[in-house]
Amino acid sequence: MTSQTKPSGQFKILYFASATSFTNKSEEYLDAPLNSRELFDVLDQMYPGMKASVLDSSAVTRNLEYLDLEDDDPTIFQAGDEVAIIPPVSSG
Amino acid sequence: MDQTIRNLREQISLCERQLHALKVQLNNAEERAILEAQAKPEMSFDLSGGGQDAWQMEILGVLGHESPRKNAWPLMPQEYKRYGRQLILPEIGLNGQLRLKNTSVLIVGVGGLGCPAAAYLAGAGVGTIGLVDGDIVEESNLHRQTLHTTEKVGMSKVDSATFYLKSLNPTIKYVSHRTHLNPQNAPDIFRHYDLVLDCTDNPASRYLISDLCVLLGKTLVSASALRMEGQLLILNYPPRAPGDSSGGPCYRCVFPKPPPAETVVTCGEGGVLGPVVGVMGVLQALEAIKVIVDDSHLLSSQSETPSLLLFSAYGTPPFRSIRLRSRRPRCACCSEQPSVSLASLSSGSLDYQLFCGIANPANILNPRERVSPREYAKTLVTTRSVLDRGLPKDHVLIDVRERVQFDLCSIEGSINIPFSQINAPVRSNPSTREQSVASSSSPSTNPDQNAMEVDGKVSEGQRNELVMPWVHFIHKAALEKPIYVVCRFGNDSQVTVKKFKEAGLDLSGRRWVGDIKNGLRGWRTHVDKDFPEY
Repeated sequence: MTSQTKPSGQFKILYFASATSFTNKSEEYLDAPLNSRELFDVLDQMYPGMKASVLDSSAVTRNLEYLDLEDDDPTIFQAGDEVAIIPPVSSG
Repeated sequence: MDQTIRNLREQISLCERQLHALKVQLNNAEERAILEAQAKPEMSFDLSGGGQDAWQMEILGVLGHESPRKNAWPLMPQEYKRYGRQLILPEIGLNGQLRLKNTSVLIVGVGGLGCPAAAYLAGAGVGTIGLVDGDIVEESNLHRQTLHTTEKVGMSKVDSATFYLKSLNPTIKYVSHRTHLNPQNAPDIFRHYDLVLDCTDNPASRYLISDLCVLLGKTLVSASALRMEGQLLILNYPPRAPGDSSGGPCYRCVFPKPPPAETVVTCGEGGVLGPVVGVMGVLQALEAIKVIVDDSHLLSSQSETPSLLLFSAYGTPPFRSIRLRSRRPRCACCSEQPSVSLASLSSGSLDYQLFCGIANPANILNPRERVSPREYAKTLVTTRSVLDRGLPKDHVLIDVRERVQFDLCSIEGSINIPFSQINAPVRSNPSTREQSVASSSSPSTNPDQNAMEVDGKVSEGQRNELVMPWVHFIHKAALEKPIYVVCRFGNDSQVTVKKFKEAGLDLSGRRWVGDIKNGLRGWRTHVDKDFPEY
């Protein structure tokens, strides 16, 4: 499912802030195609507890565009896409 | 000798209090002087350094300047000099400078973001700068909060910043709000300003500030930073009434759900690098200037796409700009049917602390599972002389802080198993995870010699059994000895004790497993005052 090095047939997922701490990674590759509605469940399976701790309050983007996974029509992440998990950072 | 030291300390403290009072008086006097100077637009042309010759009067008469004592130019003479380098930029020009001069900006939070933001806005000649902060300057602020200096430790952050800013630019007005923002006091503070900068450090104030900016029609420049990352948002730009879809999105549109309180990490807990938070504060000042000098949004409803700028010091690329949506149709604040209103703020029916949740200090162990730092110290005294290869003979002390903190300072004989590893989810594919355990028995030696690598692989069959590598390690290291757990403040240690017991490390009750109350902070307070505070 995951790979650090083989982008072929996969999409890239970037982790920011608490998503980095939770996964211990700043990025990895996941198998494409993937329905956007399944993203959180796939990640929660890989990193148990991530959905409630991180994902539910995070912004999600594809190719630098904001996505609303709940309200948007489902979309398919394709090979070569860059998806990002962006939790809010509140300190400063 | 003690008496001499005590006397000197008292004298110094008295002088410091007097000095502080004098500085406050000076600040107030200067504020009044600036206001009076602005009220009287009298400024002389210094053409010759002396009296006015007849020919000069004649020329000025031809130029239409009736009196040489009346300033005929839109800016004061010294302002052309002070702002000359930005005045000649086409993006600023005279109009931009006048807009800056006629704008009031509220900076909420005078810390790592607010300090650089305030310095650049004061330098640029923003007419009025309001500062909100209820904190005092601490030593741990100085590596990043660039307006505060060592001798200001203990002073209110607002006073310390104002002191610096007045010396940077004495020609503009500063307003002090020495308070923490809350839903009751915030509306009256915000009303007097045109633009707001969110330089705070917690989710509750981020939602409060954003809501108020929407309700009062202010554009908000919001930034944040933690560890090596930062985020920047320009919100409610253009500022429009709730329900007007041509207005810019608010904080709730981008992050409708606050993160769970127990996952929120402060700079004190997670750390932050000065230049990382500094770059975000500087960007806030830049965006604020852009918003102030460009009022094109007032003319047309077309504005550029709102964006979220991400900065990651080690990222490639270090900056990413995310295109945001316009206002969220079901936003609780800026949509057609908002649940947030000024009335709900002032009545207190909108509880931001409740909305964001409160991370209570953990209190999950019973008293028998906890010892005070002093009690542990007594245990240690009896065993210190019998350290066996660096470890206490009759018990095991496990320090669950992250490795980098453990390397800073630790109790002699303790073993490090970072909380992130104890708390790590059992992975379906753990092949890349490395687990390491370190002992502090001989801090002078190469830590690698003490690092005991533990195989992090969890076989397919073990996947659901929650068998973590540290369990095997502790079984091996502790045999049947009691296990003490310590962390920085006494929260993670409690969670760890629970986890240890769930993993069967209490040997069905035969072995004592418990933690040290208040962690290493308590250790410093009650046992070893020389233990470093960081």
